[in-house]
Amino acid sequence: MKSRHAAPLVAAAALLALPFGLTEFWIFIAVEVLAFALYAVSFNVLLGYGGMLSFGHAAFFGVGGYTAALVVKQSGLPPVLAVACLPLAAMFVSAAAALVIGFFSVRRAGIYFAMLTFAFQMLLYTIALKATPLTGGDDGLTGLKPPGPLAQPLAYYYFALAMTAAGLHVLHRVVSSPFGYTLRAIRANALRVQYLGINVRAHRLAAFVVSGAFAGLAGAIFALSNGNVFPEWLNWTASATPVVMAVLGGTASFLGPALGAAVYVVLEVLISGRTEYWPLAMGIIIVIIVLLMPEGLTGLWRTGIVRRGARAAPLPTREAR
Amino acid sequence: MLELIAQHFAWAQNPVVLARQTLAGVSNGMLLFLISAGLSLIFGVLRILNFAHGALFMLGALIAVSVAALLPDPLAGFAAALVGAAAGLGLLGAAIETKLLRRIYRAPHEMQLLLTFALVFILGDAAKLIWGREEHFVAMPALLAGGAQAFGLVFPLYRLFLIAAGAAVAAGLWVMLYRTRWGIFIRAATMDREMLAALGVDTRALFTTVFTLGAALAGLGGALAAPVVAVGPGLHVQVLIDAFAVVVIGGLGSVLGAFVASLLVGLVNAFGVLAFPGLAVVLTFGCMAIVLIVRPRGLLGTAE
Repeated sequence: MKSRHAAPLVAAAALLALPFGLTEFWIFIAVEVLAFALYAVSFNVLLGYGGMLSFGHAAFFGVGGYTAALVVKQSGLPPVLAVACLPLAAMFVSAAAALVIGFFSVRRAGIYFAMLTFAFQMLLYTIALKATPLTGGDDGLTGLKPPGPLAQPLAYYYFALAMTAAGLHVLHRVVSSPFGYTLRAIRANALRVQYLGINVRAHRLAAFVVSGAFAGLAGAIFALSNGNVFPEWLNWTASATPVVMAVLGGTASFLGPALGAAVYVVLEVLISGRTEYWPLAMGIIIVIIVLLMPEGLTGLWRTGIVRRGARAAPLPTREAR
Repeated sequence: MLELIAQHFAWAQNPVVLARQTLAGVSNGMLLFLISAGLSLIFGVLRILNFAHGALFMLGALIAVSVAALLPDPLAGFAAALVGAAAGLGLLGAAIETKLLRRIYRAPHEMQLLLTFALVFILGDAAKLIWGREEHFVAMPALLAGGAQAFGLVFPLYRLFLIAAGAAVAAGLWVMLYRTRWGIFIRAATMDREMLAALGVDTRALFTTVFTLGAALAGLGGALAAPVVAVGPGLHVQVLIDAFAVVVIGGLGSVLGAFVASLLVGLVNAFGVLAFPGLAVVLTFGCMAIVLIVRPRGLLGTAE
């Protein structure tokens, strides 16, 4: 019992103390890590637990970002109220988007599901690009500031930490619930679950909406820290980001994708500060992950980093079809 | 209100505009077909959605730029550019299939998507390193640069040439798929590759050749497009998005579907620009979304 509580307590203490060891720039990066950690974990609730590869998850991250930006810029709410409204509004609007997109997408499985979600993301991208009065078009929404009390980087860090922790907690509850176990069963054998009398499509849709809502929250957290929201957030190049983070960290564990997000964001900062060819570096990193460590960083941990013939390790539990 | 609409669509009564846009739409559709045919074939046989296909197209165009610059005679240079781009991309395709893709046929979908996605970034940046960030232009050979007069209208020759070239490739693909033993294997592989392998067909070689062919077609498409587009980084993005819409609308794995949908998307783009300026992209994706919702397998695709 003691050791079970020790690790989370240490982690919480470390995260609370973290900003005191960091410069303002790295506090900003820490917020980015938190947002993308929530984003990657929310994505992996679909992939790792439900076996659903969403290749359009950036849609919800983007919708959450735009919603937060609009709340701050257009709503005219007093700062304290705006702070309270932000997460709820972002989650609500992304959940609504996920409900519509999911309704059409969860009817298909496998690669077709991936393509449907991808197509819808591109549709939202074009809307973000063309609905200029609302979204600012090509230029996006810029000059955002967190409302009132959160304008200080340190305060915003703790806000982001609280939001991310709450999000991760809820998502963990979801995947540990009977619903979460049903999701895993659907991943393993959807047909059999259907024969048991369970509505597979409804479960997939529910998972999609929950996942989309928290991706939206992540987008909102990042949008206000970043100060800008651009249509590029929803462009096709953004589709791979949560997938890379989740796979890099390891899709077989709940927090693996969060670790993947942290490594990814820090690598991006370090590499893109030195060269303009960050995409090339990222491409090479992806190839290495896919070919040499398909179970991700947490997979390396589990199977022993030094074990020889890592590629001969059993494939991820999900069926490769 | 009606007057406004009539004004907005005044171009629809102008035969010159109609002819020009139809020609542009059909010829762009043919270029799209060269990419999407390969994309569709590769998905049908290898079951891999190749995100890097737009990048292969761009590399074809860039190789055409370099090869055309080598020869003093524009016509010979253009011919050499077509051959060089197709051959170069065929080689690159064979290398990608044997060195990378072959290792992940049994891996989960996300690994396959990530690998081809990584290739987009790698090839895109490699192109910037080799050819720089500026845009290149390829001169049309004088033979194809003029216009042909018919019905009192002038048709740009190069557009007609593109249509002829696309039709020739489509006919060649049809003959290959339906009149050769290799084509039978390809069609069989799109239906059941385990069965095909069990019957003693060397599916490894089949996969390599299909990917090589798809890459070569993309390279040829890029080289053919080089005189009518600005060849530079970013070319692959729009191309990939359009080709992706085409294979979804036409049906994954169906070459005929790719042909029909290419023409459709080409024409929608050409007339969308006039009817709804600035919204052509939305139109393409609107078409795609409607097809996905009403008929998810695509116009001519088979059920999963």
